Formats: sequence, structure tokens, C-alpha cells
Amino acid sequence: MWIYEKRLQYPVKINKTCPKTAQLIISQYGGPDGELSASMRYLAQRYTMPVKTVGGLLTDIGTEELGHMEIICAMVYQLTKNLTPEEAKTAGFDAYYIDHTTALWPQAAGGVPFTAKEFQSKGDAVTDLTEDLAAEQKARTVYENLLRVITDPEVREPLKFLRTREIVHFQRFGEALEKTKETLDAKNFYYFNPEFDKHF
Amino acid sequence: MQEHLAIASVPVQSWGECYEPEAALRVGTIFRDLDKPFFAALTDDQPYSRCDQAASPEQQERERMLLKLQESSFALDDLRLYLDTHPEDGQGLAVFKERLAERKTLLRTFAQRFYPLTPDCMADIYESMPAMECYCWQKGPMPWEGACV
Repeated sequence: MWIYEKRLQYPVKINKTCPKTAQLIISQYGGPDGELSASMRYLAQRYTMPVKTVGGLLTDIGTEELGHMEIICAMVYQLTKNLTPEEAKTAGFDAYYIDHTTALWPQAAGGVPFTAKEFQSKGDAVTDLTEDLAAEQKARTVYENLLRVITDPEVREPLKFLRTREIVHFQRFGEALEKTKETLDAKNFYYFNPEFDKHF
Repeated sequence: MQEHLAIASVPVQSWGECYEPEAALRVGTIFRDLDKPFFAALTDDQPYSRCDQAASPEQQERERMLLKLQESSFALDDLRLYLDTHPEDGQGLAVFKERLAERKTLLRTFAQRFYPLTPDCMADIYESMPAMECYCWQKGPMPWEGACV
């Protein structure tokens, strides 16, 4: 069960319409390393985690990622809310505009639609937590690429906040991996799969 | 922590110096040790003011209080993840309890002055104003409206 709270985790107030910037940051909504992919990854992986508190951490980080998806969507929305037909035509947002007008639809910056192929839920705690560590690093890189090209401080501030969250989540997934390792035999972490071979 | 071949290792964080909630929200973490800024974001000027000076006094007051709530809630978000992996940490738990109480008060005050942020906040409104007859969940701007309200 989830309960909605009518606020963003980080405030977003963008005054200047800029469809080009919207087209870039929409990748963190529906792109390969975006927030939708992040939330679905963690919320899918949690059910079969052998260490209960790691399942709890995945729930909490997955929930925070839903909040991050909302921040990114709010940014895209505000960047395109007052879009004129002329701006829609010229700004590099044209192909998106033809299919979706100014509605939100999850896709990557390059136009590739969101797909569950962007993440894994593999059913092995070590494998999944290692994927999660990599996922946080990939998302950090995307935020850094965005910060290199975007100059509007109203857009940069939330992006900087979200970038730091990737680093914090990396740390927590690392700690979750350490907790999982404690339950395994350090001589051979790979002797069995802790999510499946339950007779060990 | 012992490192082993053929598996990733990340050192477990120890409790350290924390930012105040206001700075923590700006930076993205309450933990100084995890604040690792990107070079291309270091040259930014002071963060822009999130409160619109041209807005009505009521809106300014509402936005100030909402920001306070965002700060205290964010400190809780960050502490929750820390405590998920450090359940025995007494210092972390002490700050967590402090922020929990702060957020509870802010949520109730915000609901009574402006509008409910969570479905449960409606109880705060109806308890303090039993004669109120209107359904209040849809009151207030949508959170994604930002500067567009």
C-alpha cells in the first residue's frame, strides 16, 4: 500500500519555458537509467530478498525513487506548460510534441520508449544488489551529463539534489550487500543462490 | 569488514557530522561524509530563492511552511535509509525521533492553516473544525504546479 503526500520531495519552480531542456531531462523519467526504471527495479527485487531488512531497504529506496519520478515529471511539465506552437516546432521537442502534445510519457532523451528491459530482477541477492550499485552509478552519470549542458539554476538545483541521492543510495546498497554477505560463507559466496536454494 | 576476492565491498558508514535540515535539502543528504559535489556544479551561485517575493502574503507563508516541512521530511527520508542498514545506531535514532516529532507538528499545523498533505491530515482538520462541512482533500495546488500556480 502507498499513501500519497501532496508535495514534492524537493521543490520545483521553473519559470522559463524550454522544450529542449525538457527533452533532455525526460530521460530521467523513462530512460534506461531513469527514476521509473529505478523504482520498478527495487520494488520488483524486494519480494525474494533473503535478508528481511534488505527487502525493507529496497522498499524505502524504491518508494523514494517514485518521488524522484514525480520531481522529474514536474520539471518536464513546468518546462513545457506554456509552450507555443512555434516553440513546439523549432525546439528539438517537435517529434515528442506530435505524439504526446505536452503530456508526460516515459521515454529516453533519444525517443526510445520506456521498457522493463532497462532493469533486472534476477532472483539472486548478490546479483541484484550488484546491479543496484551499478544502476545508481549510471543514474549519477546521467545527472552529471545534464549538469554539464543545462545552465538554468531553477533546473540545476533539483538535478544536483537528485545526483547526490544516487551517491547516498549507492552507499546503502553497498551496506545491504555487506549484510547479505554476512549470511553467506566467505570462503565461497557463490556455492548456492540464497534466494532459491533454501535448503542451505 | 573483511574484503574478499571476486565480490564487491563497500565500507559501512559510521555516524558523523550532519547538516541542519535546511542545508541537507539543498545538498541532497544530511551526511557531510556523503556530500560529494560534481565539479561542474561547484561554480553555481547561491541557490535561488524558492519563495516567490511577488506572491500574496498568504502564499508566501504557505510556501515557507511547506519548505520547512520538506526539510524536516527529507531529513527523515535520509535517516530512514541510514537506520535500515544501521538499526542499532543510537545517535541516528535520537535525531530520527526529534525530526519525527517536528514533522508531525508541521503536518498538523499546515493542514489546519492551509490544506491536508496526506489523507490522515484530514482528521486534524475535522477534529479542530467539527462544523466544517466541505470535503477538503482536493484543496490546495497540485504539487507539480510549482511556479505555474
